[in-house]
Amino acid sequence: MKHKTKEAIVGYVFSLPIIITVIVFTIYPIIAAFYYSVTDYQPLEARKFTYTFNPYESLEFNTGILREEAKDYPLDQMIQSFDPVTFVEIDVGVNLSDEDKESIRKNFDSLNLLSDYRDRKLPTEIKISDFLMKYMKSDGERFAKYRPKFVGLENFKQMFKDMYFYTSLSNAFLYSIVVVPIQTLLAIILAVAANSKIRGKNFFKSVFFLPAVTSSAALSMIFWLIYSKPGILNQVLMSLFGRFGFQPIDYLNEPGIALFAIMLMNIWSTAGYFMITFLAGLQDIPSSIYEAAMIDGATGWQTFWKITMPLLRPQIVFVSIMGTIGCMQVFDQIYFLIKNLRNITISFYIYKNAFEYGKMGYASSLAVVLFAIILALSLIQRKVVKEEY
Amino acid sequence: MKKVFSTILLVLLTVGLFAATKVTISGWPGNPVEEGAIKQAVDAFNSTIGKQKGIEVVWEPIAGDYKQMLMTKLSGGTGPDIFYVDVYVFEELARANVLLPLDTYIKRDGYDVSDFYPTLVDAFKYQGRTYGLPKDFSTLALVFNKAVFDKYKVPYLTNNETWDSLLKKLQQLKAAGLDTPMVLAPDFNRVIPTIISYGGRLTKPDLSTALGEPNAKKAIQFYVELVTKYKVANEPSALGAGWIGEALATGKAAVGMEGPWLIGFAKESYPETFKNLGFVEMPKGIKKSTMIYTVSWSINRGTPNKDAAWEVVKFLTSDGQKIFVDGAGVLASRKSLAAKDADPIKQVFYKGAEYGTPWKVPTKTGLFATANDQINSLLADLFHSKITVDQAIQTIEANYNTWISK
Repeated sequence: MKHKTKEAIVGYVFSLPIIITVIVFTIYPIIAAFYYSVTDYQPLEARKFTYTFNPYESLEFNTGILREEAKDYPLDQMIQSFDPVTFVEIDVGVNLSDEDKESIRKNFDSLNLLSDYRDRKLPTEIKISDFLMKYMKSDGERFAKYRPKFVGLENFKQMFKDMYFYTSLSNAFLYSIVVVPIQTLLAIILAVAANSKIRGKNFFKSVFFLPAVTSSAALSMIFWLIYSKPGILNQVLMSLFGRFGFQPIDYLNEPGIALFAIMLMNIWSTAGYFMITFLAGLQDIPSSIYEAAMIDGATGWQTFWKITMPLLRPQIVFVSIMGTIGCMQVFDQIYFLIKNLRNITISFYIYKNAFEYGKMGYASSLAVVLFAIILALSLIQRKVVKEEY
Repeated sequence: MKKVFSTILLVLLTVGLFAATKVTISGWPGNPVEEGAIKQAVDAFNSTIGKQKGIEVVWEPIAGDYKQMLMTKLSGGTGPDIFYVDVYVFEELARANVLLPLDTYIKRDGYDVSDFYPTLVDAFKYQGRTYGLPKDFSTLALVFNKAVFDKYKVPYLTNNETWDSLLKKLQQLKAAGLDTPMVLAPDFNRVIPTIISYGGRLTKPDLSTALGEPNAKKAIQFYVELVTKYKVANEPSALGAGWIGEALATGKAAVGMEGPWLIGFAKESYPETFKNLGFVEMPKGIKKSTMIYTVSWSINRGTPNKDAAWEVVKFLTSDGQKIFVDGAGVLASRKSLAAKDADPIKQVFYKGAEYGTPWKVPTKTGLFATANDQINSLLADLFHSKITVDQAIQTIEANYNTWISK
């Protein structure tokens, strides 16, 4: 073997764990989501052919004839009142699609089953898929495994009629439009402040970064306490403006305010995180440029807008793209704090459809749409603001 | 070497032969008192019947979103062997064929189900088959704080309260200086007793929504106006509480409609307020009405240990239930146990079983979760005067079919 190929093989063997992890946990789910988005995949149905059942019991239920007495009944009399579709659907207990029903009506070997019943040749416990494959004259493979029905673009068409699709999507947009610029600007200001030579800047750096390392569940609980009607925020505002007729507000339940309350919380909690990115960017700017500006007599304001901001451009692009992605996908704070469907965002709506309403196909198609939107936004952002100077 | 090998083999064999069949049971943990009672029942089973028959029960509670977790586990094939099924999601699960029909087992062992309240047994039947036995049940009653009524010199609430007389007393409390006497949730299931007592119904015979009918509409109007027009009630969050029971137990509200789960919670955490709480029947309209909440023990259809699981269910719905009733303050679903339950506070709740409706909205598809979310959202809007009752009902009627579709 050539040295080069050998080296390549060794390289791949070393990176095999991560390659497998990425394929199994990232690439496969992405492909699966695209596939499910054109089907009516229902999670609860996924295992329907794997359950075991007792054919004797099901036949006793269906025919009303006990297994011991079956021998006394003539076969052709039994078969006359036997409907295989009802038997499979109700007594065996599998939900069937229209095509499944059609196939059973055509191919089910009722005669064989009933004569086995009379001769007591059935097993007392059998997997539904094995049973159906055994007693279908043909087309039995249909029941080997659950296959979601292909519905084409039906899920996407349904979206246009879904009022909460519009609500949740426009909430996500509104959220991003408000949060991303403010959080980016705030992060820059914090970074510049933390980069200057003020006393105790390390302390401030840690404090600003603290929300980023706190779990969002804990943050949500704290903000629930702050925002609740008898909470701290209302108490402060009451003591300040109470005499001007200020009434306490239930921030998280007032439909017009709830989303903005979450935005404020998110700006506060992520600005510190992005500050780190800008700090790294600031340290890359050579101090000679600032010195030159000082000699030329530039004011602090001028240096900030003419030197700092342009030279931070790569970081601004990065932060605004990451921020937009994060905001379009905002989930946890909504999940913890929002009760009214009017204020939910698209990723929460996806979650609800997938895990609460059992509409995995529809949820996947929503996810595909969200993916397309985020992809488009990121491309536009890269086009508009060039990463290079 | 040979010796070591055979010893290992022997050990493996004995372990294999005498290993108990493990049966996992799952539900939501509820409050510590409730979970304590379940653990006690599990221990009782493991040390008696479990020991004889070689079955070991393990309690694996699901904290958080129970329904989501359960559905995900069931679809992944890792569901517990036995689990709670809320009557509200029962039909959805029964239709998906993920529950084991119990009729054969009931017949085989001659298990007596006639001792259970028939409403509760029927609540877990689908297409004539039983898919679960009622663990226990709860109803709603009107709870009030006697100390507050004493303080503002308003007569106590009684078992014969009507919606109008309740409103009058609430207004007296408000006039005497109590800003929001009542706690009221914008939850559809809490509005149902009002709708039914007003002579309304949830669905028409063809299972389409009947919320637009005049009586139902009047009831919803009244419920919402307690908050918006009369301003005598508000939602728990507006009072700084997470739920109705908390608002009552912490004294943030003086009146509320709540179930027996409040008893254990208040007794344990707020014993001082609990002493002052009075329990009376729900207010009447044209007729009496309350909500029945019930949960079944159902068996996972995919369990490899069907017989063992059935043994456990039998225990949990007989001797086990006695432990829950004594320990957790729940209402017995067996009439014989209910008759022995002498707790005076619980009598009001038991009475509800005679005229209450189970918390279940029948639909053509068996799905109601989306519609429930949407209606709750509309109720929240109504509480905040964002829309009018007419608009809410128009939205419900226009979208109901989409909400309940697959």
